[in-house]
Amino acid sequence: MKPNHMLLAMTLTLTIMAAACTSIERSRDLANPNVSAQTLAEQICSNCHGIGGRSISPNFPALAAQQPDYFIKEVKEFRNHSRSDPAGFEYMWGLSRSLTDEQIAGLAAYYSRQPAASQKTSEASGLTAAGQEVFEKGVASKNIPACSVCHGAQAQGQGGVPRLAGQHADYLAKQLTVFQRTDARPEGSIMKTIAHDLTEQNIESVTVFLQGLSAK
Amino acid sequence: MKASTLQTQCRYFELIPFFVCLMILGSITLSFDAQALPAFARQTGQNCVSCHAGGQFPELTPYGRIFKMTGYTIGERTLPFSAMGVINAASVADRSKSDLPADDFQKNGNPVFSSASLFIAGKVTDNIGLFSQITYDHYAGQHADGSFYGHSSADNIDLRYADRFVNERSDLIVGVSVNNNPSVSDPWNTAAAWMQYVPAASLTSHQFTDANTPYPGNSTGGNIAGISGYAYWNALVYAELGTYQTAKGLFRPMSAGMPAAETTKLKGRNNPYWRLALTHEWGPHNVMVGVSGNYAHIYDDPADTTNPNSVHRVKTTGVDGQYQFLLDPHTVTAQIAYTRQRTNYSANEIAANAGVGSPFGFFAADGITSLPDANSADTTNTFRTKLSYVYQAKYGGSAAYFNLSGTTNTANQSSGYDNTATIIVDPGTSRVNSNFSGNPAMRGMTYELFYTPIQYVRLGGQYTAYSKFNGASSNYDGLGRNAKDNNTLFLYVWAAY
Repeated sequence: MKPNHMLLAMTLTLTIMAAACTSIERSRDLANPNVSAQTLAEQICSNCHGIGGRSISPNFPALAAQQPDYFIKEVKEFRNHSRSDPAGFEYMWGLSRSLTDEQIAGLAAYYSRQPAASQKTSEASGLTAAGQEVFEKGVASKNIPACSVCHGAQAQGQGGVPRLAGQHADYLAKQLTVFQRTDARPEGSIMKTIAHDLTEQNIESVTVFLQGLSAK
Repeated sequence: MKASTLQTQCRYFELIPFFVCLMILGSITLSFDAQALPAFARQTGQNCVSCHAGGQFPELTPYGRIFKMTGYTIGERTLPFSAMGVINAASVADRSKSDLPADDFQKNGNPVFSSASLFIAGKVTDNIGLFSQITYDHYAGQHADGSFYGHSSADNIDLRYADRFVNERSDLIVGVSVNNNPSVSDPWNTAAAWMQYVPAASLTSHQFTDANTPYPGNSTGGNIAGISGYAYWNALVYAELGTYQTAKGLFRPMSAGMPAAETTKLKGRNNPYWRLALTHEWGPHNVMVGVSGNYAHIYDDPADTTNPNSVHRVKTTGVDGQYQFLLDPHTVTAQIAYTRQRTNYSANEIAANAGVGSPFGFFAADGITSLPDANSADTTNTFRTKLSYVYQAKYGGSAAYFNLSGTTNTANQSSGYDNTATIIVDPGTSRVNSNFSGNPAMRGMTYELFYTPIQYVRLGGQYTAYSKFNGASSNYDGLGRNAKDNNTLFLYVWAAY
């Protein structure tokens, strides 16, 4: 055998061996229904949403301790392209396209078990106090109900209503704006009514308050 | 307004028809949705902006870097092909101070289809992935009659095996890359192989665009063959170590399309490349500081690899850093890179230059006194920094500063005094590219504005302004051409699918 052919044979052999070494426990294959939810969370979701769903960048929501029913609903909304806010279709439509219902349910269970994110907030206490007022009492003059009525006293969420505590303020503010100004999230249509009359100051204060909530 | 300034501005008016076409194309593409995606976007199903900061290519986001480090294996196998093409036009400030303007500026002011690339890229297995680029240069060279011919050859190639061990307590990515260019495996945009404006003009079609300006880089360039191992631990430390050899035998595809006699020939396999970087991410910010190096033994003549005394050695060391602010709709990037390169010329070359003065036969101003022999070693220092901003991944701009300095060497001098004390230009060099001082210094700024109406089309304009060229700010050719005469406006349409 010529040296070049020997090298080629060795390379092919090594490639086949390397392929055989592939472990489904560390797979990054989004089209394989046998890849476990935990593997997907660790190998893929963590790249944006952080290890354990505690994202570093405010571009991506924290998923730790999120309500599983809400999580399942949202990922399926991405998968069927019903949720079309820019952050949704740019990042999530493709990633969710081949996930099975079982994988989505597994991811929901995985993230609901994770310790909640704890975000620092450096905003002035006056802003936080104003946000707490909106969260706990709403804005009576505009008939805006308190957020805590649905999202829980500690903003922990319930069922299909998401956890907000510890979420990035920037992400929350952008989503409130999506609800307020677009129809890109039809699954959250109730929020369109509630967010309709929120001022920019309302949004800023309540999201800053919520970001810091879990740290308390 | 000075007459010369007015004249310079009038020169750029010749690009107005191309500029108008750019605007029309921009308004047409506004009506399309971003449905078609290149190979990696098809694989993940995500938009380009997921991996490329603000949609700038090739600059990567933190997620894009992980995608690369994990061997391009995230997602699902799809059609692994993409294509890219560039149409551009450029105009140089002064075309009068040239001996042969028709040759030096043949395509000046004319829109040209300059280059195209075919990418074969994607997930192969759960651990193996490929990024490979074959580029067609429509102006690769010129026939004897001056007409251009096109040519295709291997561009960047990066075949990887990678694995990731991640859990609540630790995160370790390890991998092996087989590639054809030291640092092409690097995930940061300040690496030598990636710190560049894209697209760039074909060098033979347009003079003095940013593609002609100095960039920190390794001496070997591309089209060699190497293997490197790397590890990224806890999103904190990145380390890579590799070595390179000539692209021959099994590795000949790494230089496919290039005549064997013209590819870089390395002596042996002891041509190491190394890289160490520290990274940190907080909120919407991320930062990297790193060092890198390359030590290469290169044959003087790629067609003759028989003489061990015809090997020069180049040691390259660099420091680089990058800061990104990524928070929709804003993308800010600051980059900085410095490379010091020490070249020790081969024993044969030193012996050939001993006692002969200028290798080009130039003299001192009196036409009698000999110039010094060519150096036995040279050092260059290349510094580049760039600041860019992109809004909504659509509207962007940047400013870049470049500064190359180095030792003066009569071997760099391609114009000078002959034995009648007359300044002449070496016949093998055009006057506009000649060097009277023997110093390689180059300094200036590149500014860019671009518009990305849809993620696979970009319209842009660059302006490159020189304050020093071939060692001097003024009269760099000895015949009156100044650095600022080379200032160039460059417009382009870039598309990928």
